[in-house]
Amino acid sequence: MITPFLELRSVSRVYGSGDTEVRALDGVSLAVMPGDFVSIVGPSGSGKSTMLGLLGCLDAPSDGTIVVDGEDVSRVADASRTRVRGRSIGFVFQQFHLIPHLDALSNVETALLYRGIRPGERRERSLAALDRVGLAHRHDHRPVQLSGGEQQRVALARALVTEPKILLADEPTGALDSKNAANVMEILAGLRSSERAVVLVTHDVGIADSAARKISMLDGRIVSDEVLRP
Amino acid sequence: MSTPRDLTRVAFSGLAARKMRTVLLLLGPMIGVAAIVAAVGLTDSAKGDLKAKVAELGTNLIEASAASAFGQSSPTLPIDAVERAATVTTVESVSSIRQLSNVVVTPYTEALEQFDTVPIPVLAADADLPRVLEVGLVSGRWLDDFDESSRARVAVIGQALAAEFSYLPGENRTVELAGFPYAVVGVLEKVPLEPGFDNAVFVPFAAVADDFLDEDPVEPNKLYVRCQTGTEDLTSEALSVAVGLGGPTQISSEVKSEALELAAESDRQLQLIVVSMGLLAIVVGGLGIANVMSISVIQRSAEIGIRRALGHTRRIIALQFLLEAIAVGVVGGILGVLLGMLAIFVGVSAAGWVFVMAGWLAPAGVALAVVISVLAGSYPAVRAARLEPLETLRLG
Repeated sequence: MITPFLELRSVSRVYGSGDTEVRALDGVSLAVMPGDFVSIVGPSGSGKSTMLGLLGCLDAPSDGTIVVDGEDVSRVADASRTRVRGRSIGFVFQQFHLIPHLDALSNVETALLYRGIRPGERRERSLAALDRVGLAHRHDHRPVQLSGGEQQRVALARALVTEPKILLADEPTGALDSKNAANVMEILAGLRSSERAVVLVTHDVGIADSAARKISMLDGRIVSDEVLRP
Repeated sequence: MSTPRDLTRVAFSGLAARKMRTVLLLLGPMIGVAAIVAAVGLTDSAKGDLKAKVAELGTNLIEASAASAFGQSSPTLPIDAVERAATVTTVESVSSIRQLSNVVVTPYTEALEQFDTVPIPVLAADADLPRVLEVGLVSGRWLDDFDESSRARVAVIGQALAAEFSYLPGENRTVELAGFPYAVVGVLEKVPLEPGFDNAVFVPFAAVADDFLDEDPVEPNKLYVRCQTGTEDLTSEALSVAVGLGGPTQISSEVKSEALELAAESDRQLQLIVVSMGLLAIVVGGLGIANVMSISVIQRSAEIGIRRALGHTRRIIALQFLLEAIAVGVVGGILGVLLGMLAIFVGVSAAGWVFVMAGWLAPAGVALAVVISVLAGSYPAVRAARLEPLETLRLG
């Protein structure tokens, strides 16, 4: 049996309490397998951002169990969750979130800091990751000197450089024009492998449909989970 | 482990990326440390040459005077005071003088009218005085035993008096002491520990007995004693007993260099005021660091969020910001010490003092700046560490 990279078992996330209680996620179960290319789609308020926070070990569930890469992170200290996050998950955000005062290479290298990796090796791996998204030649450019599409590709390189099992992309094309969006989607699709799962969170049904598996959410629950293509 | 190196790199790149902000942060600790270093250094330097002089002169010269004796208006020491003092085992050398009063000194007979109102001290001195005081002669010779035994009317004069009397080295000059002619045989160098000698006339005891006092032999009223260094207080006490024993005279002893040492002490009051102002500047600078870094944490919340998402722990984030503050403290402190030294140098050059800067001042200045910046940086650092990545990243 293949162990899932990500597993949610009856997970709930509740904000507030009493009258103001909001069940952003309500007893959701889900497994993301190696090689999956999953999109999570839903309108705003459907719980997909909450889901992203939980899948990315940025948040802890109110109830239920989350297992990431074989490790139960439901009720562990922040430091342990941070460790699992750094080891197993790569993030891509809608707003790219590159560090503005660092050039492209240093931004990618940031993901490799505090891991006991020699500066030389860190640089080598970062350049390789930039090369993979076709931006090795712009490694010394700062974010302001790069186009939106290029910035998102740097962010992709940063997410990839640690070789994470799970790549979490939050509206990765939301701030891009259609040409750049297509380019980023193409790279994302190319990243799924037997060693990696790609999870894409979006409200854009068109983008969601380009994934291999589509999970639709509404009011904190999964309403459908369909395989679009093998 | 490469973590400290990585942290340092990140902290410095964070500071280098915001140069203007970093310069403003540096100003507080820099000005504060500079003020403190300059205050301490300048007040020390102001008395620096005196301190050097004290060290050069030695601290082991004791003056033992006849203080008071029952029914005597001008108390004197026993005639054998020098021998008595020499019995104290810690004493290395002794010399005696007798201070005279109302002896009018004139450079030549005709000048009597101009000089009879100017008090010039006249002292009977023995042959050992320059050796005990450790001074030499500008010209000529000191009073010797033959002057005493032959009851010669000879005199040695102080350097300033020689200048006033326009005395040329080697000149055959006769001065009049209360109308008696005395041959000048030498000029004494300045005595730093006894500035009054610069203007005085020294004559043999025998001549004093013949011309000025109604006693023979003349009793001394003051001893100069060199003792073994470190035994000053002990020797002072022993002298009182040894010299005063069995007589009516009280002996008061004084370590000559103490007055000078006191004068060489820095003006603590002034130093305290300026150092307080420097401390105030550092504290204000520290508040500035806390303030600017707190704002910086808010501005950089997205950066903090992404670093947290990339797996940097809260501890790492806190250390990163703390290290930025420490770097500001170290650099600001070093610049402050340099600026303070420059201020001392400028002040010392202008006033013609000796450059004095205590060895502890530079490390203490830097340490103070670092301590302040650590204190100032800890609050923003903790705030940065407490930021929730989920809140700062604004997930879609």
